[in-house]
Amino acid sequence: MTRVDFFFSFRSPYSYLAAPRAFALGDRPGVEVVYRGVIPMAMRGQAVPQAKRVHTLRDTKREAVRLGMPFGRIHDPIGAGALRCLLVAQHAVDVGRERAFVLTASRAIWAEAVDVASDRGLRDVCERAGLDWAACRAALDDPAMRARVDADTEALAALDHWGVPVFVVEGELFWGQDRIEDVEHALTLARAHRS
Amino acid sequence: MTLRDRIERRWVPRAVVALSQVDWPARVQARVRRAAGRRERVEVFFAFDDPCSAVAVLDLATRLGGRQADLVLTPVVDRGPRDDPATAAKRRYAIVDARRLARRRLGLELGRSAPLAGADTAFLAEWVAGAATNPNRFITPALRRLWLYDDAPVDRAAFAQLWREAMGVAPDPNPQGVRAAEARMRRRNGPYDTPAAVIGRRWWFAQDRPEQIVERLDELGWA
Repeated sequence: MTRVDFFFSFRSPYSYLAAPRAFALGDRPGVEVVYRGVIPMAMRGQAVPQAKRVHTLRDTKREAVRLGMPFGRIHDPIGAGALRCLLVAQHAVDVGRERAFVLTASRAIWAEAVDVASDRGLRDVCERAGLDWAACRAALDDPAMRARVDADTEALAALDHWGVPVFVVEGELFWGQDRIEDVEHALTLARAHRS
Repeated sequence: MTLRDRIERRWVPRAVVALSQVDWPARVQARVRRAAGRRERVEVFFAFDDPCSAVAVLDLATRLGGRQADLVLTPVVDRGPRDDPATAAKRRYAIVDARRLARRRLGLELGRSAPLAGADTAFLAEWVAGAATNPNRFITPALRRLWLYDDAPVDRAAFAQLWREAMGVAPDPNPQGVRAAEARMRRRNGPYDTPAAVIGRRWWFAQDRPEQIVERLDELGWA
């Protein structure tokens, strides 16, 4: 089994664009995608200049159109919204629903303007992803879930990397939703190497 | 949710996205340019110490060949967000990324394995920014020599020879112009790092979006 570590942020529109194709890598035989949710850059003390924020939104819109993904009805989740999604995502991992949750929540944030900092918004997302709201609510206050989020965030920093989405295949790191082609190539090589 | 929250989290990002879809001014501008017998400009702000700039320039030089568009290469030295704590990590990763892109898109191998300091190549940017004639015929071989050969230190004398061969004259001993080029980059609707390709008021990171740049020329009628 070849493992793909997928470092993801709910505040990153490029992570949103990458997520469907990232999880689809796990549909290949012999490939396991491991979701690793990280705290947004701006909540880790890294300033994001206005020029970068504006460019990212414009570029993401263009790329979303190319990929046939909805984008533009935004509710920026920075702060509580992003953190709550990260905590629920850890619960979703435990019940095997992280793919459904990540795809539903990121689409809600970037294309449906859902306020995931509110219980109403987050509950709607959780239930659409097939999660039990009471269990999700409990995850929000569970220090073990927070410790896992912090561990994934530290794991990204330990890789000498700063942004997301990031993919790690057998120790090789790939950054960007537009580098999935390279990830696929690495998986093909890994498969050939094993057979 | 407060009004301020609503504005910052919803209205501003949605307005940025919506405004980015307004395209008629660019299309009108392209028609006017054509009617006046002019060609389109694809301006690429690049840095000699940036391996992704090397890949982007070599790639676009090929892709734009034969089109009614000129590749305008503008060198900068000062690049990237100010006080970015990730600058060193980004420059280390750029080597890895450029190696993959060069192999996949251009069938070329990156020869250099460690980042170059901006100061090591700043003289090249100064020569190019101060060039009296089109410097593209120097830039492409210079980027090849910098990035496709080996880890050797940057040899100013060898590049001066390359300049003479490409441009037919010696490099200006006291060139100026990079600061003006950097100021121009910052004025062009937002590019903050290299390689940035600009067509009209729209820009892309050129190593990431070569197909989109060509598609944009198609959209504007510059086949």
